Amino acid sequence: MSRLAVPLAAVALAVLVGLAAFVLVQPAAPRTAAEQAQRLAAGLRCPDCEALSVAESRTAAAAAIRAEIDEQLAAGRTPDEVRQSFVARYGEWILLEPADALAWWLPAIALGAGLAVLGGWLLVGRAAPPGSQPSGAISESDRRRARDEAEALDA
Amino acid sequence: MPTLRAWRWLAIPVLVVPVGWLLFTGLGRDPRDIASPLVGEPMPAFAGTSLEGQPLTSAELAGTPMVINFWAGWCLPACADEHPVLLDAAERHAGELQLVGVLYQDTPESARGFLARYGDGGWPTLLDGGGEVAVDYGVTGPPETFFVDGDGIVRARHIGPLTQQVMDDQLAALGLAS
Repeated sequence: MSRLAVPLAAVALAVLVGLAAFVLVQPAAPRTAAEQAQRLAAGLRCPDCEALSVAESRTAAAAAIRAEIDEQLAAGRTPDEVRQSFVARYGEWILLEPADALAWWLPAIALGAGLAVLGGWLLVGRAAPPGSQPSGAISESDRRRARDEAEALDA
Repeated sequence: MPTLRAWRWLAIPVLVVPVGWLLFTGLGRDPRDIASPLVGEPMPAFAGTSLEGQPLTSAELAGTPMVINFWAGWCLPACADEHPVLLDAAERHAGELQLVGVLYQDTPESARGFLARYGDGGWPTLLDGGGEVAVDYGVTGPPETFFVDGDGIVRARHIGPLTQQVMDDQLAALGLAS
C-alpha cells in the first residue's frame, strides 16, 4: 500500500492544482465594447470555414456576424443575449466553447472516478485477511499429500 | 466484500460499453447533418433586391409554401446537380409553391452566368451581398435549402444538393402531392 500511496497522492495533488489553476486563471473581464465584441467573435465558429473563429475569418459570413455583434452590443444587449441570438439560428454548433459548464469539469470528474476505481481495486486486492490464501494457491493438505506420494514413489 | 476478480469483471464492461456506444453512434453520423433550431419556428423575414433588380420581401411571398434555396454560381458541381430538381418542382407545382433563391457570397454576373448555362426557372433570387440573410437562416454554405409551410413556419432544412427523393418527401410534408 505504501508503495502506491506516493504516486496516488501525486496524481491527486496534480488534479487539485489543475482545478485551482482553472478556477483562478480566468481572463479579465472586457472593459470596452470593442473588447467585448472581440471576445464574442472569438467564441463563435466561422460558419463557412474550417477550424476558424468568426474573429479570425475573413469570409462574408464571418464579417456579417461581426457586424451584427457590434449592432446588438450597441443596442444594449448583453454578451450572453448576443451569443444566444446566434445559437437560436445555428444551434450550439456555433459555439467554440461548450455552453454547459459540466463539460469543463467532466474530464476532472472522470479522472477522479478513475482514480477512485483504481484505488478501490488495489485496496480490495490487499484487503485479504493475513494468513488467507489467494484462490488457486496450493493448500497445506495438498502439499502434504503430494509430498507423501513423492516419497512413496521414491521408496 | 467483492474479490479482485469481481472488480475486474465489473471494470471491463464499465470501460468497454461507453466507448463502444460512442463509436457505434458517433461514426454513423454525418458531420454535416446539423440540426437547425429554426425548424418549427417562423421563417426569418428578409427584404432586399432580386437578381433582376426588383424589390423582394418575404412578406409579399407569404401565404404559399416556400422553398428557400441558398446557392451560388461558384457552387459546382453541387448547385448544378440539384438545379434540375428545382426546375422540375417549379414546373410541377406552379401556382402552389414559391421557390426563392438566395445568392450566397457571389456576384450577380456569376449568378446570371449559372442560370444561362443550367436553366432559369423564373423564380426570384435575392441578393445577399452582406451575408445577413444567410446568417439569419444559420446557413453554413451552399447549397442549403429550407422548406416553409403556408403559415410561414420552417418545416425542414436540407444541407447539400437536393435529390428528387428529398424534394418529393419534403413537398409531400408540406401537403403538395408529387
